[in-house]
Amino acid sequence: MIQVLRPGAWTTVQDSGRPGLERFGISPGGPVDWFAAAVANLIAGNREDAALLECTLEAPALRFSEAATVAIAGGEVEGAPGWTARRLEAGATLELGRIRPGLRTYLAIGGGLGVEPVLGSRSLCQLGRFGGGFGRPLRAGDVLSIGSEIAHDSWSQPWPAAHRLPLQGPWEVRAIAGPHAGAFPDGSLRRLADTALLVTPAIDRMGMRLRAPALRLQASEILTTGVTEGAVQVTPSGELIALLAEHQPTGGYPVIATVIRADLPLLAQARPGDTIHLRLCGVEEAVGALRRLVDWLRG
Amino acid sequence: MWRIAPAGESALLVDLGESIDERILGQVLALDAALSRNRPPGLRRPIPAYASLLCPFDPLLLEPARLEALIREIEPTVVAQPPDGRRVVVPVRYDGPDLARVAERSGLGVSRVIEAHAGRDYLVYAIGFAPGFAYCGEVAPSLATPRLPPPRASVPAGSIGIAGRQTGIYAVESPGGWNLVGRTELTLFDPVEDPPARLQPGDRVRFEPVP
Repeated sequence: MIQVLRPGAWTTVQDSGRPGLERFGISPGGPVDWFAAAVANLIAGNREDAALLECTLEAPALRFSEAATVAIAGGEVEGAPGWTARRLEAGATLELGRIRPGLRTYLAIGGGLGVEPVLGSRSLCQLGRFGGGFGRPLRAGDVLSIGSEIAHDSWSQPWPAAHRLPLQGPWEVRAIAGPHAGAFPDGSLRRLADTALLVTPAIDRMGMRLRAPALRLQASEILTTGVTEGAVQVTPSGELIALLAEHQPTGGYPVIATVIRADLPLLAQARPGDTIHLRLCGVEEAVGALRRLVDWLRG
Repeated sequence: MWRIAPAGESALLVDLGESIDERILGQVLALDAALSRNRPPGLRRPIPAYASLLCPFDPLLLEPARLEALIREIEPTVVAQPPDGRRVVVPVRYDGPDLARVAERSGLGVSRVIEAHAGRDYLVYAIGFAPGFAYCGEVAPSLATPRLPPPRASVPAGSIGIAGRQTGIYAVESPGGWNLVGRTELTLFDPVEDPPARLQPGDRVRFEPVP
């Protein structure tokens, strides 16, 4: 068992989420930095999509009543080395602190977290208040059980540095022209790509607001459509919202660009005050970049 | 011709029209059904909404060009007709906090607003925003009311709202900016049910006033 001594700022149970249930109004969810989460699981000896903890800003303090293998990947966290697995003895306390550089870190336990799945996933569904063990982020006093789904040996070596993604800006993030790019005046997409976007403090698991006051993008109205992770929406006041893992399944704001899946981990780690440059690319480059990360994971 | 555009490398958005129209939703649902009968490996479950179908897929298993070709093959076989969904009666206690606002704006008064809102069938155009939230349309032009300027931080489950000419049902407690006219006791979302949402696009809803 794992006892939560201090929950951290916003710590939730995540696995690969609930893709396929969007038509019922359910967000796909899952880790915001899908790559770091997969690495944490792999080096802990789990399947890529085992349930683990996603920690934002500040990571938790946990007491282990049984021996366990733990692995951390993603943003650097005070109190523990990242991108590596280690063994904790029964009775050990894992005291983790602030996360920086980066914003989110993933803590995987060998065997996964033994949380009851709801609608096929152990991830917390924040709006629906179900899943994630408690229907909410972790609190002090919560107790989590350790699962028994060990897929392979944990790694004795750290995850190779050459196969990690940057944790600090300035960020260059690749994006494909959005499905509603045509709803904007000519040249809007080019101007978007030429403008530094400021990351605001309005960040959660659903999305992040970006500011570019000089940009003044305006589009014609669109009907509500299904939306994807990485979609960059433009609100009527010209603000930009980049959708993250736990986005609403539908949206009524036009989508000017979509951040490619391979670069979503960069969005996940950007902090308020950072600047992001979008670089436009084509579908082929995006698929190639995704294949590269998947090859790293599949070794 | 349908407009097919990439929504990232892992999805195509198919736009079948640009208006809120029963017959376009009928085509969206027909395309959805055709893809589910003949689902290529790597295609995830599409998301229908109003006049579009979002088709997410794994680009390492399915080439976007192959999916687009498949959709173009289906296009001429789809007939423009209203969807043939289920009929669902939703009992409503009309005592919402914004009923007076809608009554005043419309000039109809409370009892006529209730009569007008409950007096017609609404088509469910999409489920989205939050678990089970049903976007339905359209209310009589006289009932059209703009969204609340600042949205509420919390709207109780079962609330019935109006935004523009749409009416909707909050299936779970969530934030929201629609004008709340009433509330239903009916459970419209339950994660342990299959399917978890009681309504789906294409269904027709009638609100029945209850004391």
